[in-house]
Amino acid sequence: MPKHICSSPSAGWGLGPAKGPKHLWVLCRTSPALHLQRQTAAESRVTERDRGLYCIGRTKVHPESAPLLCCFLKSPPAVLPAQPQSSAMLKRGFQVAGRLSQHRVLPGVPRVLPRLNLTSAFGSSTDSLVSRFCLEKTGLKDYAVPNASWCPDMLSLYHELQEKTKTDGWVKLPSFKSNRDHIQGLKLPFGLSVASGERDWRIFTRCVQGEGQGYEYVIFFHPSKKKSICLFQPGPYLEGAPGFAHGGSLAAMMDETFSKTAYLAGEGLFTVSLNIRFKNLIPVGSLAVLNVDVEKIEDQKLYMSCIAQSRDQQTVYAKCSGVFFQLPLEKESPQ
Amino acid sequence: MLRSGALRLCAPGVLRGPRRSAAPPTRESRPPPRSFASEVIRVDLSLPNPSWSKDMRLLFDQFMKKTEDGSWKRLPSYKYVSPQRTEVKTFFPDGKPVKEDHMPQAQLFPRSLEEGLGFEYAMFHNHVENRTVCIFQGGPYLQGASGFLHGGAIATMMDSTLGVCALTAGGVAMTANLNINFRRPIPLCSVVVINSQLDKVEGRKLFVSCNVQSVDGKTLHSKATSKKMPLCLFSLV
Repeated sequence: MPKHICSSPSAGWGLGPAKGPKHLWVLCRTSPALHLQRQTAAESRVTERDRGLYCIGRTKVHPESAPLLCCFLKSPPAVLPAQPQSSAMLKRGFQVAGRLSQHRVLPGVPRVLPRLNLTSAFGSSTDSLVSRFCLEKTGLKDYAVPNASWCPDMLSLYHELQEKTKTDGWVKLPSFKSNRDHIQGLKLPFGLSVASGERDWRIFTRCVQGEGQGYEYVIFFHPSKKKSICLFQPGPYLEGAPGFAHGGSLAAMMDETFSKTAYLAGEGLFTVSLNIRFKNLIPVGSLAVLNVDVEKIEDQKLYMSCIAQSRDQQTVYAKCSGVFFQLPLEKESPQ
Repeated sequence: MLRSGALRLCAPGVLRGPRRSAAPPTRESRPPPRSFASEVIRVDLSLPNPSWSKDMRLLFDQFMKKTEDGSWKRLPSYKYVSPQRTEVKTFFPDGKPVKEDHMPQAQLFPRSLEEGLGFEYAMFHNHVENRTVCIFQGGPYLQGASGFLHGGAIATMMDSTLGVCALTAGGVAMTANLNINFRRPIPLCSVVVINSQLDKVEGRKLFVSCNVQSVDGKTLHSKATSKKMPLCLFSLV
């Protein structure tokens, strides 16, 4: 039986029993009718509606795990269609776990609804994400390999870490010219997808094509420790103060390293916040080593920290903490 | 010696982010900036070009109208940074910049990509209200998550805009802290408006903040606050 129906005039949600059936009923509102969509255990759906309100449904896999459904409706419950079938489905299907008060939608402010994601119960494990991410023989150019512009520090540290990929469990991440190449066969959830025209799109940190001119970097990831090391050498096209890298270029490199780490550690997708404390400028053409750690995964968010320093750790360039929002990618429908 | 060193440091060539061709309004008593005869011909890139979308041009025209009464001013922006490195050493004695012959093509980062592919932006400053507005169109080479602008790209633009805001208030400044809250992803190739203002001055520190909104003002994409430390110790003398 539903415990509570919304009290807010612009948003509402329905609650259901804590333990329920394996399938979850997702309530989505499309104008003007109300639809119910049944979801299987493996699928989830994010749908954006006209005022930016989202409906997200998740299914539970194990009865003892905490299920969550956040269902936001634009109109007050009085507008709900009075259909016995739908209300019965509502009563039977909805399951909610706490923290709904934090997800109250402010009128007029579009927000993506968070949802619980217990990595052990839902979504893909780190190992499966890594193996999908690091597909070999893709035929795509991997930019994260040494070239003539790399300084000696960067080369020697690269070789050191390459040795560790054989012995210590580190993985070198490939770097393609577009994030789309990394997620072949997957796409953003419906409602967040953007119109095509992406043939010439490039990921920001591979925007400068000349060797050594812009971002030269490689990221190594450790799946079980959930750590990353990024070797970053800014080129002359990333200049800010004369002779030194632009603060924004380091911010972008940190965001990119966070992004890859968050994706592999817990399907993190979008940046929620970045807090960077700059200490020293990075000379153009020198090596900066970024060490990223995943501090915790909580409330569908990944909390990470990063410290950028010189190879000998004598100079700290910047410290940063970042929060990423978890959002598993959907599989592309076969065409 | 120190004073003249400080004045040279505050010359436009040492700026981070877009520069101004005239001296900042707070220092009328300074000598005029050095000429850049040794540089290549400088092209002002904060002007419409074929890659600008309709939204971008409309906004640009709106702001240009506002400059007519004198309260707003469009800030020019150039690709190349003038080679004045010795002054930076005064404040960064530990920094070891690479020799000039290894970097013949140093370019200001937000201006280093070809037309339409990267950052397309123009900045406007209102000295009456003491705020800076930047209209920004992110090109296809700034992608992050598929179809959206990279978080680092908007961070770079916010840092640049905040830097200009701090520059007009307190001279050349280095970013000490940048704190960004992202609310909603920005679709690639769309236009956003970055509004920044100076919040307070505490001794040598400048606190600036900005927000990023869509063209119609209805969508708040992100907000940031930043602490800037002026490099020029004698700017208030």
